[in-house]
Amino acid sequence: MTQPAFTADVYQNQYLAAGATTVDAMVTVTATGDGTGAVPAGGAPSAAEVIMIDCSGSMGYPRSRMTEAIKATGVAIDTLRDGVLFAVVAGRSMATQVFPGNGMVAASPETRAAAKQAVGRLTPEGGTAIGSWLSLANRLFAGVDAQVKHAIMLTDGRNQHESHETLMQVLRTCEGKFTCDSRGVGGDWVADELRAVASGLLGTADGLEDPAELPAAFRSMTESAMGKAVADVRLRLWTPASSTIRFVKQVYPQVEDLTARRVDVSPRIGEYPTGSWGAESRDYHVSVQVAQGSVGEELLAARVSLVDGDTVLTQSLVLANWTDDEALSTQINDRVAHYTGQAELASAIQEGLAAREAGDEDTATAKLGRAVQLATESGHEQTAKLLNRVVDVVDAPTGTVRLRRDASNVDAELTNVRSVKTIRVKKS
Amino acid sequence: MPTNPATVRTVDCPRCGAPALSSFRFCEACGAALRDDAPPARRGTDWVSSTAPPEECPACGGTAFSPEGYCEGCGQRGPTGPDRSAYDLGLLAGVSDIGHRHQRNEDAMALGVLPGTALAVVCDGVSSSSRGDAASHAAVDAALPVLRDAVRDGAGAQKAIELSAEAARVAVAAAAGPETGNPPSCTYVAAVVTAGTVTVGWIGDSRAYWLPYGAAPVCLTTDDSLANELIAAGTPPADAYAAPHAGALVRWLGVDADDGPPKVVTIAPETPGRLIVCSDGLSRYRSAPAELAASTPPGAPLPVAHHLTKLALDAGGVDNITVVVVPYPPAQSGTTPQPDARPAEPR
Repeated sequence: MTQPAFTADVYQNQYLAAGATTVDAMVTVTATGDGTGAVPAGGAPSAAEVIMIDCSGSMGYPRSRMTEAIKATGVAIDTLRDGVLFAVVAGRSMATQVFPGNGMVAASPETRAAAKQAVGRLTPEGGTAIGSWLSLANRLFAGVDAQVKHAIMLTDGRNQHESHETLMQVLRTCEGKFTCDSRGVGGDWVADELRAVASGLLGTADGLEDPAELPAAFRSMTESAMGKAVADVRLRLWTPASSTIRFVKQVYPQVEDLTARRVDVSPRIGEYPTGSWGAESRDYHVSVQVAQGSVGEELLAARVSLVDGDTVLTQSLVLANWTDDEALSTQINDRVAHYTGQAELASAIQEGLAAREAGDEDTATAKLGRAVQLATESGHEQTAKLLNRVVDVVDAPTGTVRLRRDASNVDAELTNVRSVKTIRVKKS
Repeated sequence: MPTNPATVRTVDCPRCGAPALSSFRFCEACGAALRDDAPPARRGTDWVSSTAPPEECPACGGTAFSPEGYCEGCGQRGPTGPDRSAYDLGLLAGVSDIGHRHQRNEDAMALGVLPGTALAVVCDGVSSSSRGDAASHAAVDAALPVLRDAVRDGAGAQKAIELSAEAARVAVAAAAGPETGNPPSCTYVAAVVTAGTVTVGWIGDSRAYWLPYGAAPVCLTTDDSLANELIAAGTPPADAYAAPHAGALVRWLGVDADDGPPKVVTIAPETPGRLIVCSDGLSRYRSAPAELAASTPPGAPLPVAHHLTKLALDAGGVDNITVVVVPYPPAQSGTTPQPDARPAEPR
């Protein structure tokens, strides 16, 4: 696989009215590889994969949940290209290694067959302590040398056999060590926990209503991991003296606030982790507060680069021009407007569902109503459809809704876990 | 006894075979050039320009600038040159001024001389492009040395202007860097004035006027504007000038422009006069040749250039103003005039 070519395009209204100091820009970063998909030819970065399967007692009810999970793990193992190091972990109140006996082993026809045999003997019994599973994965990854380190974590329940603090502590330990996609199956998983794992470990989170969807989901996550061509890409941001960074967010394909993840490189430069990249495209929202300029002044408000180590993959400039021409300064960039709305949509859903769970129906109705309004305005059909499972929409354009009494736990969790998924600006 | 290197015979003339000394640039017998490695034009002595890269940021005093010209400390765009400059090379003189309304001087000029020959290039950064001054400044600095060396090497004024425009085009593309959205762009007008001819070449709407003493003045250039395109296509001039965007440029230097050669006009004046090469910061106030001639006093080129610049400033100065004045015929002195590389006094 050839090294992907990165491009960064900036979308902004660089014209500021006199007195304005906030500069917003959308940066679309696109990596174009050979585009052939899952299994790159020679030259792909070395990779390691840990698959964590929830084997708690509830996985046995219905029986199909465990059997589909076993089948899905087999599909993931088959999707690994030869030579990729891998291991399978069974998650209960503690983590136990299923295959190989210890450490990690290179994928080959023999090790794949042996792994699937071991996975086939898994039985559902015991509890759920996700942090302990991630800790074992972290130890396994630490023992091997690989550029792309990726994990899959499947659970069907609440993280009830360890404290929330323990999980968060483990996540902080694992940050930057490997990436992890989290998935929930059944009706008892908790969206906030899945999103915490995915967010901390730069992966994706989702729920699967039907265990039969598991094999396809596992294949897709593994294919995506095998398609990664650059392991540890960081977004590097230069900002001028006497400016402050309001926030740095990934806004597509899902909302991820990176502001607090900054690592200072120098007083003017900081870096934000973006994980590994295959052939894909992501959008970032950079918002900078600059010192007030006088009309006619032109300022470099930020320089946005994507870097692999110290290699600059691509770079773009964010500018600010102060003008007294209102026709220029009052234009709102449609991408900035769109993603500002998408980010608000995600928080409205999360806040609305939290209020609903806390029994605060007024706040829940207001927030979820606003969410329906934003989803409708931006044409986000998937999210609008999910919202229909938790509210009855009376009038979408005004955001008038009623909470549904018949909404199930999984309706709310699915809506929550997918709240961060955004869509791009539709061509008008 | 040490040998005087100047007397060491090293070459024979490749054309006629006559013996020559290493210190000779031309064959004593037939006049052929003996060295094709004549030194390239040197800035400051052979030519001068209104451009000067910033040494420190006027906002914060920082000295590091990004390739695009932004201060690495405070992010302010550093100036690409001074707001006002004036140069007098004897055979010609020029003044460039920021005007009253613009924040940056996006005009640039470069002046050069050869024995008995005056050379000028004026470029005007397109203000609707980003960093128009980066284009105009890169353009004049690339164009003038190429123009001078080509004229010196006998290329002929038209060919020299074409080579110079191409050098400017390459420099403007380099100034754009990876920028593709609205890349830096500028106009281009060049003049070569010798004892017998005045040659001008242009791309865009910067102009050259021929103002003879005692004869009708004429604008040698035709703006590459939408209106002139319409007129060329048969639209009555009154309708063409009234068309929306009549003044819009149809040709310019920039990576987003067509790369045709400059249009070139040569005249062989029978009377003395002055060539005025200028940006639209002047021509917008004295567009008709007769108006400009009526406003141009006699005198040495530098005071005339200052006079015309002041006229444009007094008329409003809404744009950057650049005026180069070339008396014709050029003074015939036996030696290359030593250019005064110091900017003349600001107004």
